[in-house]
Amino acid sequence: MSRSEIKVYRHLMGENDLWAEHTRELLLKRRLLMLNLIGSPGAGKTALLEAMVGRLAGKFRFAVLEGDVETTYDAERLVRIGIQASQLLTSGGCHLQARMVHQALLDLPLDALEVVVVENVGNLVCPAEFDLGEMGKVAVLSVTEGEDKPAKYPMLFREAKAVVLTKIDLIPYLPFKMERCMEFIRQVNGQVPVFPLSALKGEGVAPWIEWVAAQREGLGKGSA
Amino acid sequence: MHELSICTALVELVSAELQRQAPEAKLLKAVVAVGDLRQVIPETLTFAYEALVAGTRLAGSTLEIRHVPITARCGSCAWEGAVGENYFICPKCASHNLDLLTGRELHLESLEVEENEPK
Repeated sequence: MSRSEIKVYRHLMGENDLWAEHTRELLLKRRLLMLNLIGSPGAGKTALLEAMVGRLAGKFRFAVLEGDVETTYDAERLVRIGIQASQLLTSGGCHLQARMVHQALLDLPLDALEVVVVENVGNLVCPAEFDLGEMGKVAVLSVTEGEDKPAKYPMLFREAKAVVLTKIDLIPYLPFKMERCMEFIRQVNGQVPVFPLSALKGEGVAPWIEWVAAQREGLGKGSA
Repeated sequence: MHELSICTALVELVSAELQRQAPEAKLLKAVVAVGDLRQVIPETLTFAYEALVAGTRLAGSTLEIRHVPITARCGSCAWEGAVGENYFICPKCASHNLDLLTGRELHLESLEVEENEPK
Protein backbone atom coordinates (compact mmCIF):
# COMPACT_ATOMS: atom_id res chain seq x y z
CA MET A 1 0.00 0.00 0.00
CA SER A 2 1.29 3.48 -0.75
CA ARG A 3 -0.09 6.87 -0.05
CA SER A 4 0.03 9.62 -2.58
CA GLU A 5 -1.35 13.05 -3.16
CA ILE A 6 -3.14 14.00 -6.35
CA LYS A 7 -3.14 17.70 -7.13
CA VAL A 8 -6.43 19.01 -8.44
CA TYR A 9 -7.52 22.55 -9.07
CA ARG A 10 -11.23 22.66 -9.65
CA HIS A 11 -13.72 25.31 -8.65
CA LEU A 12 -16.63 24.00 -6.57
CA MET A 13 -19.09 26.29 -8.29
CA GLY A 14 -18.11 24.83 -11.66
CA GLU A 15 -21.54 23.61 -12.71
CA ASN A 16 -23.37 26.65 -11.37
CA ASP A 17 -20.90 28.98 -13.07
CA LEU A 18 -21.34 27.18 -16.38
CA TRP A 19 -25.10 27.84 -16.29
CA ALA A 20 -24.41 31.41 -15.23
CA GLU A 21 -22.17 31.82 -18.26
CA HIS A 22 -24.88 30.46 -20.60
CA THR A 23 -27.26 33.00 -19.10
CA ARG A 24 -24.82 35.87 -19.55
CA GLU A 25 -24.36 34.97 -23.22
CA LEU A 26 -28.10 34.74 -23.77
CA LEU A 27 -28.66 38.12 -22.11
CA LEU A 28 -25.87 39.92 -23.92
CA LYS A 29 -26.99 38.63 -27.30
CA ARG A 30 -30.41 40.13 -26.66
CA ARG A 31 -29.11 43.24 -24.88
CA LEU A 32 -31.15 42.31 -21.84
CA LEU A 33 -30.09 43.61 -18.45
CA MET A 34 -30.46 41.19 -15.55
CA LEU A 35 -30.13 42.35 -11.96
CA ASN A 36 -30.08 40.11 -8.89
CA LEU A 37 -31.77 41.72 -5.86
CA ILE A 38 -30.44 40.36 -2.56
CA GLY A 39 -31.58 41.37 0.91
CA SER A 40 -33.03 40.05 4.19
CA PRO A 41 -36.62 38.83 4.44
CA GLY A 42 -38.71 41.98 4.81
CA ALA A 43 -36.05 44.38 3.51
CA GLY A 44 -38.53 45.64 0.93
CA LYS A 45 -37.43 43.89 -2.25
CA THR A 46 -40.97 43.23 -3.53
CA ALA A 47 -42.13 46.69 -2.51
CA LEU A 48 -39.23 48.17 -4.48
CA LEU A 49 -40.40 46.33 -7.60
CA GLU A 50 -43.98 47.51 -7.01
CA ALA A 51 -42.77 51.08 -6.70
CA MET A 52 -40.95 50.89 -10.01
CA VAL A 53 -44.05 50.12 -12.10
CA GLY A 54 -45.92 53.41 -12.01
CA ARG A 55 -42.73 55.45 -12.34
CA LEU A 56 -41.17 53.89 -15.39
CA ALA A 57 -42.79 56.18 -17.96
CA GLY A 58 -41.59 54.20 -20.97
CA LYS A 59 -37.97 53.85 -19.79
CA PHE A 60 -37.83 50.05 -20.03
CA ARG A 61 -40.05 46.98 -19.93
CA PHE A 62 -39.18 44.55 -17.20
CA ALA A 63 -40.07 41.13 -15.86
CA VAL A 64 -39.39 39.64 -12.47
CA LEU A 65 -38.16 36.18 -11.51
CA GLU A 66 -39.35 35.76 -7.94
CA GLY A 67 -37.29 33.44 -5.76
CA ASP A 68 -38.92 32.13 -2.61
CA VAL A 69 -38.63 29.14 -0.35
CA GLU A 70 -42.39 28.53 -0.30
CA THR A 71 -45.62 30.15 -1.61
CA THR A 72 -46.36 32.15 -4.73
CA TYR A 73 -47.54 35.23 -2.78
CA ASP A 74 -44.87 37.56 -4.09
CA ALA A 75 -45.34 36.70 -7.76
CA GLU A 76 -49.11 37.06 -7.36
CA ARG A 77 -48.57 40.44 -5.70
CA LEU A 78 -46.61 41.63 -8.73
CA VAL A 79 -48.86 40.09 -11.39
CA ARG A 80 -51.84 41.84 -9.78
CA ILE A 81 -50.33 45.23 -10.59
CA GLY A 82 -49.36 44.25 -14.11
CA ILE A 83 -45.77 43.11 -13.71
CA GLN A 84 -44.73 40.06 -15.69
CA ALA A 85 -43.54 37.73 -12.91
CA SER A 86 -42.65 34.05 -12.59
CA GLN A 87 -42.27 32.32 -9.27
CA LEU A 88 -39.24 30.13 -8.62
CA LEU A 89 -39.64 27.94 -5.56
CA THR A 90 -36.55 26.51 -3.90
CA SER A 91 -38.59 24.27 -1.52
CA GLY A 92 -36.34 24.80 1.44
CA GLY A 93 -33.24 25.96 -0.45
CA CYS A 94 -31.83 29.25 0.83
CA HIS A 95 -30.77 30.68 -2.52
CA LEU A 96 -31.40 30.52 -6.25
CA GLN A 97 -29.00 28.63 -8.46
CA ALA A 98 -28.00 29.52 -12.00
CA ARG A 99 -29.63 26.54 -13.67
CA MET A 100 -33.08 27.35 -12.25
CA VAL A 101 -32.83 30.95 -13.34
CA HIS A 102 -31.65 30.01 -16.81
CA GLN A 103 -34.61 27.73 -17.37
CA ALA A 104 -37.05 30.32 -16.03
CA LEU A 105 -35.57 32.97 -18.33
CA LEU A 106 -36.29 30.83 -21.38
CA ASP A 107 -39.98 30.85 -20.43
CA LEU A 108 -40.16 34.65 -20.49
CA PRO A 109 -41.13 36.64 -23.60
CA LEU A 110 -37.55 37.89 -23.93
CA ASP A 111 -38.15 39.86 -27.12
CA ALA A 112 -40.65 42.06 -25.29
CA LEU A 113 -38.25 42.98 -22.46
CA GLU A 114 -35.28 45.20 -21.71
CA VAL A 115 -34.71 44.32 -18.06
CA VAL A 116 -35.13 41.18 -15.96
CA VAL A 117 -34.96 41.53 -12.20
CA VAL A 118 -34.34 38.44 -10.13
CA GLU A 119 -35.65 38.80 -6.61
CA ASN A 120 -33.54 36.32 -4.69
CA VAL A 121 -34.63 34.41 -1.59
CA GLY A 122 -34.63 36.71 1.45
CA ASN A 123 -31.20 36.05 2.91
CA LEU A 124 -27.99 38.09 3.12
CA VAL A 125 -25.64 35.13 3.18
CA CYS A 126 -26.22 32.33 0.68
CA PRO A 127 -27.47 34.20 -2.41
CA ALA A 128 -24.29 36.29 -2.42
CA GLU A 129 -22.23 33.17 -3.11
CA PHE A 130 -24.02 32.11 -6.31
CA ASP A 131 -23.48 33.72 -9.69
CA LEU A 132 -26.75 33.64 -11.65
CA GLY A 133 -25.29 35.20 -14.78
CA GLU A 134 -26.57 38.63 -13.79
CA MET A 135 -24.83 41.86 -14.80
CA GLY A 136 -24.96 43.00 -11.22
CA LYS A 137 -26.00 42.03 -7.73
CA VAL A 138 -27.98 44.72 -5.95
CA ALA A 139 -27.90 44.74 -2.15
CA VAL A 140 -31.22 45.82 -0.65
CA LEU A 141 -30.87 47.02 2.92
CA SER A 142 -33.65 48.58 4.97
CA VAL A 143 -32.93 51.25 7.56
CA THR A 144 -34.68 49.13 10.22
CA GLU A 145 -31.93 46.51 9.97
CA GLY A 146 -29.24 48.77 11.38
CA GLU A 147 -26.22 50.54 9.94
CA ASP A 148 -23.61 47.83 10.38
CA LYS A 149 -24.97 45.12 8.06
CA PRO A 150 -22.50 45.87 5.24
CA ALA A 151 -19.59 45.04 7.56
CA LYS A 152 -21.36 41.94 8.89
CA TYR A 153 -22.18 40.56 5.44
CA PRO A 154 -19.19 41.76 3.43
CA MET A 155 -19.46 39.23 0.61
CA LEU A 156 -22.73 40.72 -0.65
CA PHE A 157 -21.82 44.36 -0.19
CA ARG A 158 -18.36 43.80 -1.65
CA GLU A 159 -19.84 42.21 -4.79
CA ALA A 160 -22.81 44.55 -5.16
CA LYS A 161 -22.97 46.86 -8.21
CA ALA A 162 -25.45 49.05 -6.30
CA VAL A 163 -26.94 49.35 -2.83
CA VAL A 164 -30.59 50.30 -2.36
CA LEU A 165 -31.32 51.63 1.10
CA THR A 166 -35.05 51.20 1.68
CA LYS A 167 -37.70 52.54 4.09
CA ILE A 168 -36.00 55.92 4.58
CA ASP A 169 -39.41 57.38 5.50
CA LEU A 170 -38.97 55.56 8.83
CA ILE A 171 -35.68 57.25 9.71
CA PRO A 172 -37.33 59.87 12.00
CA TYR A 173 -38.54 57.04 14.25
CA LEU A 174 -35.28 55.11 14.41
CA PRO A 175 -31.84 55.54 15.97
CA PHE A 176 -30.50 54.94 12.42
CA LYS A 177 -27.69 57.29 11.37
CA MET A 178 -27.31 57.67 7.60
CA GLU A 179 -23.73 58.92 7.92
CA ARG A 180 -22.68 55.83 9.89
CA CYS A 181 -24.39 53.46 7.46
CA MET A 182 -22.59 55.13 4.53
CA GLU A 183 -19.28 54.69 6.37
CA PHE A 184 -19.94 50.97 6.75
CA ILE A 185 -20.84 50.66 3.07
CA ARG A 186 -17.73 52.62 2.02
CA GLN A 187 -15.55 50.49 4.29
CA VAL A 188 -16.54 47.36 2.39
CA ASN A 189 -17.04 48.83 -1.08
CA GLY A 190 -15.71 52.31 -1.65
CA GLN A 191 -17.09 52.80 -5.16
CA VAL A 192 -20.62 51.41 -5.03
CA PRO A 193 -23.53 53.79 -5.78
CA VAL A 194 -26.11 53.99 -2.97
CA PHE A 195 -29.81 54.78 -3.53
CA PRO A 196 -31.66 55.79 -0.36
CA LEU A 197 -35.39 55.61 -1.07
CA SER A 198 -38.88 54.99 0.21
CA ALA A 199 -40.79 52.55 -1.98
CA LEU A 200 -43.95 53.40 -0.07
CA LYS A 201 -43.76 57.20 -0.44
CA GLY A 202 -41.85 57.26 -3.71
CA GLU A 203 -39.04 59.47 -2.48
CA GLY A 204 -35.72 58.54 -4.12
CA VAL A 205 -37.21 55.97 -6.51
CA ALA A 206 -36.55 58.07 -9.65
CA PRO A 207 -32.70 58.09 -9.36
CA TRP A 208 -32.78 54.31 -8.87
CA ILE A 209 -34.86 53.87 -12.04
CA GLU A 210 -32.46 56.19 -13.88
CA TRP A 211 -29.55 54.02 -12.78
CA VAL A 212 -31.25 50.82 -13.98
CA ALA A 213 -32.07 52.46 -17.32
CA ALA A 214 -28.46 53.63 -17.66
CA GLN A 215 -27.18 50.11 -16.99
CA ARG A 216 -29.45 48.81 -19.74
CA GLU A 217 -28.27 51.55 -22.11
CA GLY A 218 -24.62 50.77 -21.34
CA LEU A 219 -25.00 47.06 -22.15
CA GLY A 220 -22.63 45.91 -24.82
CA LYS A 221 -20.94 49.32 -24.88
CA GLY A 222 -17.88 48.42 -22.84
CA SER A 223 -19.07 48.60 -19.26
CA ALA A 224 -22.15 46.90 -17.94
CA MET B 1 -27.47 25.85 4.31
CA HIS B 2 -25.82 26.65 0.99
CA GLU B 3 -23.06 24.35 2.28
CA LEU B 4 -25.15 21.39 1.16
CA SER B 5 -25.32 22.50 -2.46
CA ILE B 6 -21.63 23.45 -2.42
CA CYS B 7 -20.85 20.04 -0.95
CA THR B 8 -22.97 18.18 -3.51
CA ALA B 9 -20.84 19.77 -6.23
CA LEU B 10 -17.71 18.94 -4.24
CA VAL B 11 -18.55 15.25 -3.88
CA GLU B 12 -19.32 15.00 -7.61
CA LEU B 13 -15.98 16.62 -8.42
CA VAL B 14 -14.06 14.39 -6.04
CA SER B 15 -15.68 11.24 -7.49
CA ALA B 16 -14.95 12.33 -11.05
CA GLU B 17 -11.32 13.28 -10.31
CA LEU B 18 -10.71 10.04 -8.43
CA GLN B 19 -12.18 8.04 -11.28
CA ARG B 20 -10.04 9.90 -13.79
CA GLN B 21 -6.72 9.99 -11.96
CA ALA B 22 -6.69 6.95 -9.69
CA PRO B 23 -9.60 4.63 -10.44
CA GLU B 24 -8.22 1.81 -8.28
CA ALA B 25 -7.28 3.91 -5.26
CA LYS B 26 -9.06 4.44 -1.97
CA LEU B 27 -9.63 8.06 -1.02
CA LEU B 28 -8.31 9.09 2.39
CA LYS B 29 -8.76 12.81 2.31
CA ALA B 30 -10.00 15.62 0.07
CA VAL B 31 -8.54 19.09 0.62
CA VAL B 32 -10.58 22.20 -0.23
CA ALA B 33 -9.50 25.82 -0.09
CA VAL B 34 -12.13 28.20 1.30
CA GLY B 35 -11.51 31.95 1.23
CA ASP B 36 -12.46 33.87 4.36
CA LEU B 37 -14.81 36.11 2.41
CA ARG B 38 -16.93 33.06 1.66
CA GLN B 39 -19.59 32.61 4.26
CA VAL B 40 -19.12 28.89 4.53
CA ILE B 41 -19.40 27.29 7.96
CA PRO B 42 -16.63 24.64 8.16
CA GLU B 43 -18.57 22.30 10.50
CA THR B 44 -21.60 22.39 8.22
CA LEU B 45 -19.44 21.65 5.20
CA THR B 46 -17.76 18.63 6.86
CA PHE B 47 -21.11 17.43 8.18
CA ALA B 48 -22.60 17.61 4.68
CA TYR B 49 -19.54 15.83 3.28
CA GLU B 50 -19.84 12.92 5.68
CA ALA B 51 -23.54 12.57 4.99
CA LEU B 52 -23.06 12.67 1.21
CA VAL B 53 -20.19 10.16 0.99
CA ALA B 54 -21.80 7.59 3.31
CA GLY B 55 -22.43 4.39 1.37
CA THR B 56 -20.38 5.49 -1.66
CA ARG B 57 -16.83 4.54 -2.63
CA LEU B 58 -15.69 7.76 -0.90
CA ALA B 59 -17.05 6.59 2.46
CA GLY B 60 -14.51 6.84 5.26
CA SER B 61 -12.59 9.69 3.65
CA THR B 62 -12.29 13.01 5.44
CA LEU B 63 -12.61 16.58 4.28
CA GLU B 64 -9.85 19.03 5.13
CA ILE B 65 -10.63 22.72 4.83
CA ARG B 66 -7.76 25.11 4.18
CA HIS B 67 -8.70 28.66 5.08
CA VAL B 68 -7.39 31.39 2.82
CA PRO B 69 -7.16 34.85 4.40
CA ILE B 70 -8.52 37.96 2.70
CA THR B 71 -5.69 39.92 1.10
CA ALA B 72 -5.77 42.87 -1.26
CA ARG B 73 -3.65 45.21 -3.34
CA CYS B 74 -4.14 48.97 -3.30
CA GLY B 75 -4.79 50.43 -6.76
CA SER B 76 -3.53 53.83 -5.62
CA CYS B 77 -0.27 53.16 -3.71
CA ALA B 78 0.39 49.46 -4.53
CA TRP B 79 0.26 48.39 -0.86
CA GLU B 80 -0.37 44.68 -0.46
CA GLY B 81 -1.49 42.87 2.63
CA ALA B 82 -4.14 41.26 4.75
CA VAL B 83 -7.58 42.84 5.08
CA GLY B 84 -8.78 42.55 8.66
CA GLU B 85 -12.24 43.04 10.15
CA ASN B 86 -13.79 43.46 6.70
CA TYR B 87 -12.15 46.85 6.45
CA PHE B 88 -11.46 47.38 2.77
CA ILE B 89 -9.57 50.63 3.06
CA CYS B 90 -5.83 50.90 2.38
CA PRO B 91 -3.95 51.19 5.72
CA LYS B 92 -1.17 53.12 3.99
CA CYS B 93 -2.96 55.75 1.90
CA ALA B 94 -6.64 55.41 3.02
CA SER B 95 -7.77 54.72 -0.55
CA HIS B 96 -10.94 52.67 -1.13
CA ASN B 97 -9.48 51.37 -4.35
CA LEU B 98 -8.51 47.87 -3.15
CA ASP B 99 -8.41 44.89 -5.46
CA LEU B 100 -8.95 41.55 -3.84
CA LEU B 101 -6.01 39.16 -4.21
CA THR B 102 -7.28 36.24 -2.14
CA GLY B 103 -10.33 35.45 -0.05
CA ARG B 104 -12.89 34.32 -2.65
CA GLU B 105 -11.44 30.80 -3.08
CA LEU B 106 -13.77 27.85 -3.17
CA HIS B 107 -12.01 24.97 -4.85
CA LEU B 108 -10.87 21.41 -4.56
CA GLU B 109 -7.09 21.40 -4.18
CA SER B 110 -5.94 17.84 -3.74
CA LEU B 111 -6.86 14.25 -3.00
CA GLU B 112 -4.89 12.00 -0.70
CA VAL B 113 -5.22 8.39 -1.80
CA GLU B 114 -3.99 4.96 -0.84
CA GLU B 115 -3.01 2.65 -3.67
CA ASN B 116 -2.08 -0.98 -3.82
CA GLU B 117 1.55 -1.50 -4.83
CA PRO B 118 1.80 -2.86 -8.35
CA LYS B 119 2.71 -6.53 -8.22
